[in-house]
Amino acid sequence: MSERRQLALMLLPYGAGALLLFVVPAQLSLALALTDADLITPSRFVGLDNVHALTEDPFFGEVVWRSALFVALAVPIRLAVATGFALLLHARFRGAGAARTAVFSPSVIPDTAWALVWLFLLNPLYGPVNALLGLVGLGPVSWFSDGDAAFAAIVLMFAFTVGESFIVALAARQELPDELYEVARLEGARATYVLRVVTLPLLAPVLLLLAVRDVAVSLQATFTAVYLLTDGGPDRATLLLPIYSFDKGFEQFQYGYASAMMLLAFFGCLALALLQYLIVRRWRLGVTGTSA
Amino acid sequence: MAVLGPSGSGKSTLLRAIAGLEPIAAGRVLIDGADQAGVPPPGRGVAMVFQSFALFPHLDVERNIAFGLRARGETTAHVLDTARSLGLGALLDRRPAELSGGERQRVALARALVANPRVLLLDEPLSNLDAQLRAGARVEIRRVQERTAVTTLHVTHDQDEALALGHRVAVLHEGRVMQVGTPDELWERPASTWIARFVGTPPMNVLRAPVAGLEIVGEGLVGFRAEDAVVRSGDSSIVFELAERIGAQRLWHLRAGDEAVVVRAPEGAEPPPRGTAVRVTVPAAAVRRFDA
Repeated sequence: MSERRQLALMLLPYGAGALLLFVVPAQLSLALALTDADLITPSRFVGLDNVHALTEDPFFGEVVWRSALFVALAVPIRLAVATGFALLLHARFRGAGAARTAVFSPSVIPDTAWALVWLFLLNPLYGPVNALLGLVGLGPVSWFSDGDAAFAAIVLMFAFTVGESFIVALAARQELPDELYEVARLEGARATYVLRVVTLPLLAPVLLLLAVRDVAVSLQATFTAVYLLTDGGPDRATLLLPIYSFDKGFEQFQYGYASAMMLLAFFGCLALALLQYLIVRRWRLGVTGTSA
Repeated sequence: MAVLGPSGSGKSTLLRAIAGLEPIAAGRVLIDGADQAGVPPPGRGVAMVFQSFALFPHLDVERNIAFGLRARGETTAHVLDTARSLGLGALLDRRPAELSGGERQRVALARALVANPRVLLLDEPLSNLDAQLRAGARVEIRRVQERTAVTTLHVTHDQDEALALGHRVAVLHEGRVMQVGTPDELWERPASTWIARFVGTPPMNVLRAPVAGLEIVGEGLVGFRAEDAVVRSGDSSIVFELAERIGAQRLWHLRAGDEAVVVRAPEGAEPPPRGTAVRVTVPAAAVRRFDA
């Protein structure tokens, strides 16, 4: 068997999975977005009526704005957490392996379990977060009944599910030659100077790519947490795109409308990713060390 | 001062210990007579050129050279002078990836010299260069060393380099200094058979006399250089194996029982057939006797 055919054969399961689970549903969703489907009465083709209706839906504008705010807050925080842990834990020392596992673990436990953990952590009466805040004279915060606090809670619980970004940042940091840091040591550069002038610029291309990915993740992955913790409340304070689209589709049976919403979100996400990609390309920094 | 030793002999570790990058288990590091124990690397006044040059790939030449000055908040007034003196004046805004190997080496040298160090440590600075570049770079280092008169420790596994550059040469083997001397002393009076067999291309012949066919004064372990031996045909236990040309010299490889002997080919002589018996005569003044 030729190498080409072997390759094709090995790609087949993945290709079939991607086709059946991603491409076909995406096509159906695209088609659905152009109908008034409610799964009860026969669907009619309505063209761009759904998109038009969305522009006049005051909730949708609000949800987009809130989702953008969430991304603008969550992505930098998540990136800072992932990079921060990567820089702290890239060296070999006793317990480094355990610490790395600990940082990664929130990303592998099921979303529902993670949500339940935070339900406990943020419990207004006996939760440890409020207890800690109480120690420094703050709070108690009504995490799930105050709008801003609930929004902050969702951001907070998303700050730690950064396992994949952490691993990538860790690998990128370990790729940087030790000798650069020895030069910095010999030259008497302070840690903050080295971070600002050496480490972050050299990691920048990787961090920007992680940011691109994280925008997409942060737009989508909030569903389980929001659904279980706040269900978009209180008073729509945590009503983000995935949950709003779910409400429209699966609770109000406006499948066409919900599909159109996700389609717009997809294009928005695509535009953001393209923008970031162009920035990365312009940056064009080598992380490959000095003997290129 | 050149530090010469095979790979794994502890040359780089020695440099790193002097620089303060490596902890010292025993002994002392004195710079200008002052014990450096407890003095952090930047306080020692040492500068180092790494084997890989360890240039910052994202910084241009000027920023690489001025890295330490900027890190310590010192003036960068001398950067241009230093760069010009090494022929880097026109390359200041280039990044390391846009430089040739020789240019990178000079940038690393400039970065080390710009702050007027008390000691300059060179860790195999020529080993990353092509053979053609190496000779030029060797002269350049010598020129810089003489102009700045900075105490220089040049680590290398290449004895030609060590003998050419070192006013004195320290030979390192398995972490111990075997001999310290001028290049001539090392060449003519190696302190041990190990050094005799290590220094020189070809190294000194070391044999246990008497050997049938070898006319030499003395018994036991004797050594002589290839160029001091005179070869002629005649009855002997020494046989011709093969001829080789290294630069200006033509060498004959002979075999005396288990021992290999390398001598300079007689002027104008064609190599004899393999297995031809030859007699070797060594003038008394050229013989070096070893204990044990």
